[in-house]
Amino acid sequence: MSNIVQANPDFIVEIGSGSGVIITALAAVLKDARCFATDINPEACIATSNTSILNNVSVEVCNMTLLTCFKEYLFDVIVFNPPYVVTDTEEVFGNGIARAWAGGIDGCEVINQFLKLLPNLMSSKGICYLLLIKENKPLEIINMLYGMKFNVDIVKQRKVPCEHLYVLKIYK
Amino acid sequence: MKLLTHNMLTSKCMKGVNIGYPLKIKAVDLKESEVDFNPDFISRIIPKLDWNVLVSAASSIGKNENLPEDLLPEYEKNTEFLKRVHHVLLEVDVVNGELICPESGRKFPINNGIPNMILNEDEV
Ligand SMILES: C[S@@+](CC[C@H](N)C(=O)[O-])C[C@H]1O[C@@H](n2cnc3c(N)ncnc32)[C@H](O)[C@@H]1O
Repeated sequence: MSNIVQANPDFIVEIGSGSGVIITALAAVLKDARCFATDINPEACIATSNTSILNNVSVEVCNMTLLTCFKEYLFDVIVFNPPYVVTDTEEVFGNGIARAWAGGIDGCEVINQFLKLLPNLMSSKGICYLLLIKENKPLEIINMLYGMKFNVDIVKQRKVPCEHLYVLKIYK
Repeated sequence: MKLLTHNMLTSKCMKGVNIGYPLKIKAVDLKESEVDFNPDFISRIIPKLDWNVLVSAASSIGKNENLPEDLLPEYEKNTEFLKRVHHVLLEVDVVNGELICPESGRKFPINNGIPNMILNEDEV
């Protein structure tokens, strides 16, 4: 969090904001920035909007896939806790609640779709925080990001029962 | 949806759409609310906006606040001007209405301030 404050961002977005707790917490701290959120699930968008209103902060919520309807190079901070659980591909593209977690092969199908777009999403000082689990093969993802000329730091690793979580900081 | 957000949205990801910008706005319900004014923030983001799009979007929903067609020189020092920009960008919300793709005419509904930009499989 203090990392994000130091970056002095103007525009922050959370992709897949779900309940909205993360972007609401960011909005509460980052008074000098504008916060945005997207989710593919309309119920999640309403939940995010309600969470922000209850906490007296302003978050602009859009129901969309990733950031596909935003202009390019806008966001200084992008936060994404993606659906990363290893599942069948059908679950990733279905209509049900499974989209909240279903990541398809290696749990990476949505993650890969996102990373392909990432160079055009971030501003020149942009930073992306991405949450992964071990099954997503974080080292392969990091190597791919190096190939795309990004810098990558693993800013956090945590083992909780059944999951080994990683937070990557990705920047130009 | 605030006009700041409108300034950032496009429908270019649709099949057959080239620029998809700016989206037209059909506002059914508007709401105005007070947001803390931060002149430095407004000065910093003005260069990131499409100014002409902001002015015409504001006019199209009747909230122009006399914004000039051309950006004023030295606007950073003009607090009165920055206040008006602040109001138009951040204090006016389109609560219900539609965004309309300028090329395909595809309508994106706005409900409770949330634009629905989800496309069907055959549209991407
Ligand atoms: C693991 S959850 C994150 C939940 C949220 N960060 C929270 O703390 O409540 C993943 C979220 O991403 C959304 N999602 C899945 N695929 C998406 C996509 N392609 N674009 C946008 N959101 C997506 C899901 O609807 C779900 O809300």
